[in-house]
Amino acid sequence: MSCGSEHCITCGDDGVPMRVLHLDDARGLALCEDGGGERHTVETELVAPVAPGDEVLVHAGVALVAL
Amino acid sequence: MRFVDEFRDAELGRALAGEILAMVEPGRHYKVMEVCGGHTHSIYKYGVDDLLPANVELVHGPGCPVCVIPMGRVDDGIAVAREPGVIFTCFGDMMRVPGSAGTLLEAKAEGADVRMVYSPLDALRIAKANPEREVVFFAIGFETTAPSTALTLRRARAEGVRNFSCMCSHVTIVPPLRALLDSPDLRLDGFIGPGHVSTVVGARPFEFIPRGYGKPVVIAGFEPLDILQAIHMILLQLGQGRCEVENQYKRVVPWEGNARALEVMAEVFELRPHFEWRGLGFISQSGLKLSEAYADYDAERRFSVPGVRVADPKACQCGEVLKGVIKPWECKVFGTACTPERPIGTCMVSSEGACAAYYNFGRFAREREVV
Repeated sequence: MSCGSEHCITCGDDGVPMRVLHLDDARGLALCEDGGGERHTVETELVAPVAPGDEVLVHAGVALVAL
Repeated sequence: MRFVDEFRDAELGRALAGEILAMVEPGRHYKVMEVCGGHTHSIYKYGVDDLLPANVELVHGPGCPVCVIPMGRVDDGIAVAREPGVIFTCFGDMMRVPGSAGTLLEAKAEGADVRMVYSPLDALRIAKANPEREVVFFAIGFETTAPSTALTLRRARAEGVRNFSCMCSHVTIVPPLRALLDSPDLRLDGFIGPGHVSTVVGARPFEFIPRGYGKPVVIAGFEPLDILQAIHMILLQLGQGRCEVENQYKRVVPWEGNARALEVMAEVFELRPHFEWRGLGFISQSGLKLSEAYADYDAERRFSVPGVRVADPKACQCGEVLKGVIKPWECKVFGTACTPERPIGTCMVSSEGACAAYYNFGRFAREREVV
């Protein structure tokens, strides 16, 4: 069993490029979509400000880099 | 997909492999360590080592956070998971890591409420949905993952969630590298630096390697061409007598890292004096615990944690594999008593573990014939 993808989440390898769809500024969260069309709630505090359409690299629910 | 397809181009890969072949000095043996388990996984998934000359050897480093968690720490997690009223949350691969008397998955089968999560934020969500239960998150991972735990703890405090705590087993990348470099039984020519850890810490923390130990470091991405290019850059440095930190993964890794991530980590965590690594023993200032400001959220203070040190199984040679002293197939139990279905050592658990990578991608069959 893995964490859902072929990689283990905790490994640094699990950096998933996602596109920001919608921002919830009050809570510091964003709705993002990965390359497979799956949607995720992502913390964007570390890369703020981001806008819908921006691409971010997400690891364990947190955007670490704006691409 | 952007940033993926162009880094898997077979023709470019072959051209790069040709350049690498032309660069190596015949008669010289090159040993390059890929620090990150993600690189190990990609190397065997894409057969990168098959493109390399025979005298360029890749050594698998200690950069799989699941693989380095010692048995005693797993036992501590299971003890907390068995406390009445606890919902114990962790990443999926952690559930299969063997402790001295079973895994978290087995504890779940025996009635403990152990749940897999994809992020610490999911664990916090479970806590908010179950206010009458105590929700514990087993936090593991290097600096890539630690900011996620830190942000979640900050959010828990801001939102006043009191039934959430964290069993912090985060580790840092530099101390084990230093321990490896100080180890007398290891000779390396250079390092492929961890790509996504560097998005947080930046390239600067690795400068001690060229300065103090005279070895080149190239921070690399995870696609096959990234890894080939990093090897090319290391060999170029060696050929030109240079020795520095270079960043092959500039499209993602800023030289300075992510200052905000480092700030939030500094607020929520502090260094432990010592932390035990599977196979590597105790390494000073290599693990993180919650800072005094977040002591209320520390599961190790909230629950009674046995904290017993358990020796690694005698048959298991994960330590030597993690240090790159032996190859996975040279371990006595590789592929026989120790398989991904019933792992003895943690290197066989996670898909990023060197043993699982060899096992899953069929390397063991050919390599065993050679041995």
